[in-house]
Amino acid sequence: MSRKVIPFVVAFVLICLVMVVAAVFSFSGLATAEKFGSDVAWSQPYFTAESMKVINLMGDDQDELFIQNTENVTIFDGSGNILFSQDYQFPKTTLGDVNGDNREDIVVFYLGDLGYSVDVINSGQVSTLAKSLSIGNPARVAVLRFNSGPQIVLGDSSGLLLSLSLGGQPLWGYKVGSEEIRGLDDARINGQVHLASASHDGSVVVLNQDGQRVWNTNQEQLRRMRAFDFNSDGNSEILTGGEFGAFVVYSATDGTQLYTQSMGQAVSEIREVELNGEPSSREFVVGGKDGGVWAFSFNGATANQLWSGSMSDKVNEISGIDVDGDGAEEAVLGDDSGGVAVFTGDGSRNNLDNHSTGIMRIDVGRLNGERYVVIADNSKVDVNKVNFNSIPGFQYTPLVVGVIVSAVILIIAAILASIPQKPALKVSFQDKSRESLEAERRMLKESIADVERLRKSGEVTGDAYLARLKRLRGDVAENETAFKAAGFPIKVETIQCPNCGGTLELGMDKCEYCGQVLLS
Amino acid sequence: MEALICVGAILLVLVLIIFFYFLNTARKRVSETTSIGKKQLLPVYISLADKPTSIIQGMNKLRLDVQKTEKAGDKWRWIPMLIFFGGIGLMLMDGILFLLGYFSFVFTGGGIALWIAAIVMARGLRKSDSYDLSTRYNGTRDILHTLRDDLKPGSTYLGHLDLTGSLLPTKVARTAKDAQNRETEYFRDEWFALKAKLYDGNILRVSGIQKSKKRKSYLKRSRISGKMKSKPEKFKGTAHDLKVRIVANPDVYKISKTSPTFKEGLDIGKFTVSQLSAEGGMISFVANSPFEEVEHENVLQVLKSAYSLLQRNAA
Repeated sequence: MSRKVIPFVVAFVLICLVMVVAAVFSFSGLATAEKFGSDVAWSQPYFTAESMKVINLMGDDQDELFIQNTENVTIFDGSGNILFSQDYQFPKTTLGDVNGDNREDIVVFYLGDLGYSVDVINSGQVSTLAKSLSIGNPARVAVLRFNSGPQIVLGDSSGLLLSLSLGGQPLWGYKVGSEEIRGLDDARINGQVHLASASHDGSVVVLNQDGQRVWNTNQEQLRRMRAFDFNSDGNSEILTGGEFGAFVVYSATDGTQLYTQSMGQAVSEIREVELNGEPSSREFVVGGKDGGVWAFSFNGATANQLWSGSMSDKVNEISGIDVDGDGAEEAVLGDDSGGVAVFTGDGSRNNLDNHSTGIMRIDVGRLNGERYVVIADNSKVDVNKVNFNSIPGFQYTPLVVGVIVSAVILIIAAILASIPQKPALKVSFQDKSRESLEAERRMLKESIADVERLRKSGEVTGDAYLARLKRLRGDVAENETAFKAAGFPIKVETIQCPNCGGTLELGMDKCEYCGQVLLS
Repeated sequence: MEALICVGAILLVLVLIIFFYFLNTARKRVSETTSIGKKQLLPVYISLADKPTSIIQGMNKLRLDVQKTEKAGDKWRWIPMLIFFGGIGLMLMDGILFLLGYFSFVFTGGGIALWIAAIVMARGLRKSDSYDLSTRYNGTRDILHTLRDDLKPGSTYLGHLDLTGSLLPTKVARTAKDAQNRETEYFRDEWFALKAKLYDGNILRVSGIQKSKKRKSYLKRSRISGKMKSKPEKFKGTAHDLKVRIVANPDVYKISKTSPTFKEGLDIGKFTVSQLSAEGGMISFVANSPFEEVEHENVLQVLKSAYSLLQRNAA
């Protein structure tokens, strides 16, 4: 192939490669220019929020912002005005319809003047449901709608569960391990509501409405337990995250492990997020103590990891929010150093404005008719309007860049093809007449004799002698070839070493250059 | 953060290396030197076995071809650098997008692809670079040109011009060690050999031999620190021998024993006649020169002076 054509052939192959890669990036949607931003609508000071929810609690048509920390329960209206605020000692709260008005009430489990008590806050009116309860420091509280009727289940820091009727009467108790209750959730078995609970020492238990154990198990110390019915088959899945990285999915029906994985760091949060917008399969996001983020999909039988990412610090909160309105939720994560990031369905990370203190809670909801993302950090609660921007048509930029690169490759090929080949640096000017060839042969033989004489006189030794001799003998061989090519008779006097290819005099038994024995 | 700084520093070093590679490609090539400070020259070997016109034309063509390749590459030397800046321009697009709050790697990928293409081009251009031809190349051509009319009609020059280098391992004639066990190499480079049958029936043989001396590098223990130190090789000097033999045509010439213009010990140009023999119907002599380079005029001058020993027979 002509050396002028080769650069173009190579260029064509490279251009094809570049354009294929560009097309893959363009049409797979990998190339996007998207950003998420947030504007603070209002902000109020509020320290170390433990629980937060945007929900209608006051009986009007508007949602309010409920928030609770280690010493207070507050309700803000949509504009940030305080509608209700009451201080408690060690309060733990949950939301549930206690009085049957089809609206959620706040249930507060706290240490009051008369011992451990439970208050219900309905439309800002506080009523004490129970007091002087035989239970320890509040750890969790949940309202569960069993078939036999709703119950309020309290969990303390020693692993004790106490169920109360809606009238405040103790119904049953159960001891889950010996450490703080870390998870209290409703789990369904064949459509029936059961209670799933776990304590920090690794005990996991599922109880029925009478407080009787359906199954229990033990694992490594755990931080989080959540229950979800991912495939809506009436049987929930219980997810636990361990202190040493064990992430386990149990079947709520019998406690069999459906999926287990070691995350390499303590699991600090687990939340359900509808990442792909496909309701038949549910996704959930797991956050780690060292900032690890993993997204999983659950198909009814087992979990599959979709992607992984990271935050700068311990993941404190995960929330699913459809920021860009495409029907799929994005995962909004907050970490212990104040970082807030939006992870899209494919796992790409977009940072929102950082907070000066660690993120405690994130929730989304409508306040004053507008959709807001509420972020509570260690010192305040911010209500943000999150927006999404993308550059239209950006997905085709890989093709544009590919065309630019291809054009440059083509130009380079043209330039390289235009450069002439370097001339040969071993040149022989040889006259083909018989007289000239014979004269050259004589001259070469004289030169060989000259080299031999120099060697004998000691002027030239070793490699220099052999190198010069090799070159002269090679010239003699070329001279013989020229004789033959011109059709002149010639007595051949050289042979080639079959090992090194060096030219030798006919009749030699051993190659002087490489030592090969010759049989000629 | 430390990892980020480390990766950033490595990338910066890589970019600087690429930049200076392109900058050196763009700049007009300056003369490169060998390890002992000698100028790098184009290594050419020419076998001479043709008529003067063919040889001279061939040598001219070779010189033109070298220049043509060199010039063809020279025109495009700045292109890799321009492509490099084009790549930076593309990457800046991603930088602008980043400042606007977007994250994109598309333009950076394109920029890197352009840099790779530019490196390939720079390599291609550098491969087309040639070193300069030795001054001996033109000098030899001039000697052949000067002697062309003295050649017997129809005959050819025979010999070679070897400009592959005088300090090649294959040209080590012998080695010697001094009292400190340091090895010195003695090179013998017969860079020019010519045999010609002349118009007057004489046969002329000329050899240009460069003899060089180089001490090889060696290890020496420092007297102060006691550490072993490597001393570099050292070029110890060079000299030229011009060996000439003229076999006189007895029908035309008789050889005189002496001549005031050509005798042993006589300085002719850069040469000094060191050995002279006019026995057996031929003139053989060796002329030495302490210079590394001898011009073709000096060689021709020596040949012309040597002819003063020949006296035409009476008609």
